[in-house]
Amino acid sequence: MTDTGFPAGGLPASAEAIRRVREDPYRLGHRAHGPEEPVAGTGHGATGPASKRILVGYGFWIFLLSDIVIFSCFFAAFAVQHGATAGGPTMGQIVDLRRVAFETAALLLSSYTCMLSFAATNAKNLFWTEAFLLLTGLLGLVFVILELMEFIDLAGRGITPQVSGMLTAFFGLVGLHGLHVTLGGMWLATMMAQVFIKGFRHEIVHRLICFNLFWHALDIVWIGIFTIVYLMGSGA
Amino acid sequence: MSHLETDPQVEAGAFNRLDHAPGDEPEEAGHWVRNANLGLGFSIVLTAAAFFLAGSHLIYGPVIPVALVVLAIAQMGVHLVFFLHITTGPDNTNNVLALAFGILVVFLIVAGSIWIMDHLTHNMMPMDQMMQMQP
Amino acid sequence: MFGKLDLSAIPFSQPIPLITSIILILVILGVLAIVTVKGWWPYLWREWITSVDHKRIGVMYCLLGVVMLIRGFADAIMMRTQQAVAIDAPGYLPPEHYDQIFTAHGTIMILFGAMPLVLGLMNFVVPLQLGVRDVAFPTFNSVGFWLTASGALLVNVSLFVGEFARTGWLPYPPLSETAYTPGVGVDYYLWAVQISGVGTLITGINIVTTVLKMRCPGMDYLRMPVFCWTALSSSLLIVAAFPVLTATLAMLTLDRYLGFHYFTNTAGGNPMMFVNLVWAWGHPEVYILVLPAFGVFSEVFSTFSGKPLFGYRSMVAATLFICVVSMMVWLHHFFTMGASAAVNTFFGISSSIIAVGTGVKIYNWIFTMYGGRVRFEVPMLWSMGFIFTFIIGGLTGVLLAVPPADFLTHNSMFLVAHFHNVIVGGVVFAIFAALDYWFPKAFGFRLHPGWGKAAFWLAFIGFWVTFTPLYILGLQGMTRRLQHINFPEWAPWLYVSLVGVAILILGVISQVVQLVVSIRDREKLRDVTGDPWDGRSLEWATPSPAPFFNFAVMPNVEGEEAYWGIKRRAVETQQMGPEPKYEPIEMPVNSPVGIYTAFFSTVFGFAMIWYIWWLAAVAFVAAFVGFVVFAWRDVHEFEVPVEEVARIDRARRAAREALLRRLAEQGALP
Repeated sequence: MTDTGFPAGGLPASAEAIRRVREDPYRLGHRAHGPEEPVAGTGHGATGPASKRILVGYGFWIFLLSDIVIFSCFFAAFAVQHGATAGGPTMGQIVDLRRVAFETAALLLSSYTCMLSFAATNAKNLFWTEAFLLLTGLLGLVFVILELMEFIDLAGRGITPQVSGMLTAFFGLVGLHGLHVTLGGMWLATMMAQVFIKGFRHEIVHRLICFNLFWHALDIVWIGIFTIVYLMGSGA
Repeated sequence: MSHLETDPQVEAGAFNRLDHAPGDEPEEAGHWVRNANLGLGFSIVLTAAAFFLAGSHLIYGPVIPVALVVLAIAQMGVHLVFFLHITTGPDNTNNVLALAFGILVVFLIVAGSIWIMDHLTHNMMPMDQMMQMQP
Repeated sequence: MFGKLDLSAIPFSQPIPLITSIILILVILGVLAIVTVKGWWPYLWREWITSVDHKRIGVMYCLLGVVMLIRGFADAIMMRTQQAVAIDAPGYLPPEHYDQIFTAHGTIMILFGAMPLVLGLMNFVVPLQLGVRDVAFPTFNSVGFWLTASGALLVNVSLFVGEFARTGWLPYPPLSETAYTPGVGVDYYLWAVQISGVGTLITGINIVTTVLKMRCPGMDYLRMPVFCWTALSSSLLIVAAFPVLTATLAMLTLDRYLGFHYFTNTAGGNPMMFVNLVWAWGHPEVYILVLPAFGVFSEVFSTFSGKPLFGYRSMVAATLFICVVSMMVWLHHFFTMGASAAVNTFFGISSSIIAVGTGVKIYNWIFTMYGGRVRFEVPMLWSMGFIFTFIIGGLTGVLLAVPPADFLTHNSMFLVAHFHNVIVGGVVFAIFAALDYWFPKAFGFRLHPGWGKAAFWLAFIGFWVTFTPLYILGLQGMTRRLQHINFPEWAPWLYVSLVGVAILILGVISQVVQLVVSIRDREKLRDVTGDPWDGRSLEWATPSPAPFFNFAVMPNVEGEEAYWGIKRRAVETQQMGPEPKYEPIEMPVNSPVGIYTAFFSTVFGFAMIWYIWWLAAVAFVAAFVGFVVFAWRDVHEFEVPVEEVARIDRARRAAREALLRRLAEQGALP
C-alpha cells in the first residue's frame, strides 16, 4: 500500500476492512517463528508493529485520557468549591435550564452527525463526509454561541468568576469545555479543507478518526457537566 | 498474552483476534449508521429523563442526585459503546485497559480530593474566618 | 507596547545574576560563533535539529538534562555556601535572591534536569530494545523535545530578564498569588513548566503507544526487557499525572491573570486545594523519575552479573504495583495540613505499602548478583552504590510515612536529606550508570573507565558527607530553606556538609574530564562489535553507533533476553545465522515543525509572562498556521535503498564474525 491513497475508483469499505484485518498486529508475537517465515523489513511491519491507523487511533485515545484527567481536576475543584459562594449568588440562581437543554441537544446532535460523517468516510463518500462535517461544525457553533450568550448574560448581571470561589470553579469548568469545543471547531474546519483538497489519503482518514474521538469525548464531558453542574447544582 | 501463541484458530488464519483503534472498526457504513441511530436514541431518552427528573417531584427528593448520576453514567456508557465502539471483545483489550486506567485515575483524583478537602473543612476554620481573626 | 517589560527588568544592581548571565551569554555566543565559522549549521540542522530519529532526540534530551543538572548543581553550591557563611551573619545572598535560588534549584533539577534525562533514556533505549525502527510518532517526538527545551530556555531567561519565583519549587498559594507575589517570577515558573509539560506529555503518549503497539515479531509482553516495562509504567504515570499539573497550574494562572478565586484566601478560594492537586501530580512524578531508574538497574545488574535477572515476573508485577499505588499516596506530602486522623492513616498506610514493591525489587537485584560473575565496571559501581544509598533513603521514607513522626520532621532538613537520598541515590545514580552503559551505543566508543570510577567514588562519598549532616540537623530542629542561621551549634554540621559539596564538585569535574578524555582517546575505546558489555537485550544486536534505521531486518524474538539467545546460538554453532534477505526500508523524513513550534511557544510564553498581549496573539496564530502548513505535507517517509541497508548490515555481520573467530582462536568457544 503506497502513500498516494487509494487506487482509482477506491476500494469498497469491506475490502479495505479485510486489508486492515490482515495487518492485524495481534498476530505480532503469535506467529510461528520458523526460518521459513519471512519477516517484512519495510518499516510498515505487516508482521511486527501495528498499522499506522491503529497507532494513530490508540495514541490519540491515550491523549484523550490525559485530557479527561484535566477535566477531572476542574470537576474536583467545582465539587470542593460549589458551596463557596462568598456572599454571591448560588448555583440555583444562575442556571437557566432551558438554555442548557438547547446546548445539550446541539452537542448531542453534533456527535451524531460527526459519526455519520465518519460512516461516510468509511464508505469513501466525499460529499456526505463533508456535508456531515459541516453540520457538525454548525451545531458546535450553535453550542458555543449559546454558551457565550449565557456567559455574557451572567456578566451583565455582575456574575463573573471574580465574585466567588464557586463562580470561579463554574466558569473555569464550563469555559474549559467551551474552549475545547472552539478548538475542535478550528480543527474541524482544517479537516474539511484537507478532505476537500486531498481526498481520503491515509493520513487524512487517520486524522478524521482522531477528530471523531475528540468530538465524542467532548460530548461525554458535557454529560458530566450538565448533570453535575447544571442539574444537580440547580436542584440543590 | 503468551497463551495466544498456541491458539489454533490464530494459527489456522481465522482472525478472531483483531486489534482496533477506539472508534474504528472494519465494518460497512450501514453498521455505523445503525450504531449512530441507536446511540442517539438512547442518549435522547436518558438526557430527557435527566432533565425531567431534575425539575420534578416524581421521586423522593434526596434520591434525585443519585438518579441523575446513574443516568449520566448510563449515557456515558451509551456513548462509549455506540459512538466510540468500545466493546469487551479481544480486539479492544488495550483500549479497554487504557480506559479502565483512566477511570481509575479520574476516580482517585476526584474522590480523593473531595474526601481530603471535606475532612479538612471539618477540622479547620474556614479561610475567610481565619483572615478576619488576623489583626 | 512591551507590557511590563522595561530596562529595570535587567538586574544591573545585582552582581551575581548579572555576571552569571553575561558569562552565559558570552559562552552561548562563542559556541554559536564556532558553529558558524566552522560551517556546521547545515549538518546540525539536517542531522540533529530537524531530526526525528529517536536516538538523536534521546541524545539531545540527555544533553539538555546534563546541562541543566550542572545549572542546578551551581544553585546547590550557592545554597550550601550561603548557609555555611550566614551563621549569625547575613551571608552573601540577600533573601530575595536566595529564595529564587532554592526555587530554581528544585524546579530545574526535577523538571529540566532529571526529567529530560529520563525521557531521553526512554526515547533512546525503548525502540532499540523492542526491536523496532522508531517510536510510534517520530515527528511529535521531536516536537516534545523542543517544547521541553523551550521551557528550560524560559527558566534560564529569567536569570537575565526579570526574576524567577521565590515560592519554592511548588508555588504554594496564597504566597504565589498576585497579592503577595506581584512580580514576574511565578509567571516565569508557570509558563516554563506548562510548555515543557506539554512536551513531556507528548513523549509519554509516544512511549505508551510504542510499547503497547510496536514490538518486533515475537516480542510479547513477558519477553520485554524490564526497562521497557518501567518505561511503560512511567509513561502511563506521565499520561495520568502531568495533566493534573497542567490543570493546577492553569488554575493558578487564571487566579493570577484574571482574578479568579481558585486558590486565593479571600472570596471562597481554597489554597489547600492547590496543595492537594499539585501533589496528586507530585507524588506520581517521583515514580515517573524512579521507575525508569529501576529499569536501568535491572539491565545493569543482569548484564554485569552475567545472569538473567532474578525474578523477572515479580519485577514486572512490582513495577505495575508501584505504578498504580503511586497514585494513592499523595497526601503524605501534607500530613500536617489538618486533615483528620482517618485520612492521614489511610495515606500513611498506603505510603508504607508502596515500599513493599520497591523491597521486592531490591531483593531481586541482590539475588541477581548472587552466584553471578560480577564485573565491577562503572555502571555496576553506580548500581551497587544505589542499593546502599537507596535502602537508607527508603527507610527514612518509611519513617516519614508515619504521620506522627512526620509532624516532627515535616519541612525539616531531615526531609531535605531524605528526598535527596532517594532522588540522587535512585535517579541520578541510575542516570550516570545509564549514560556510561549506553554511551557506546550512541557514539561508538566507551567512556574512560578510570575517570568513571573516580567520578563514582567522589560522588558516592561526597553525597554521604553532604547529606548525613542534614539528617542530623533535621533531627536537631533545623527547618529547610533558611537564608541565615541563628544557632551557632549547627555550624559544625553545616561545615561538614560544605566539605561534602566540595567532594561532589570534584566528582562533577571527573565526569567532565571523563568525557573529554574519552573523546580524545576514542579510537582506543572504540566499540567495534556493537556489544561492548556482553549484553542480553536487542540494542546490543545493532552496531555501535546504531544505524538510523536500527535494524536492517526486524529481529524475530524467540524467548526472553532476545539477544542472548541469538548470541548463544552463534557461539554454539560457531557461526552467524544465514544472511537475511534485505529489503528497502521506509523511514520518516526530517521535520522542522518541532523547532518551529518551540520557537513560537517560547515567544508566546515570554509574551504572556510580560503581558505583551499582541505578541502572544501573533505567536499563537503563527504556531497554529505553521502546524496546519506542516500537516499539509504529502511526503512522510523516504525509502532507504536495499543496497544501503545491505552494506551497513554486512559491515555489522563482518564485525561479529571477526569477534567469533577471535573467540575461537582464544579457545573461548565450546
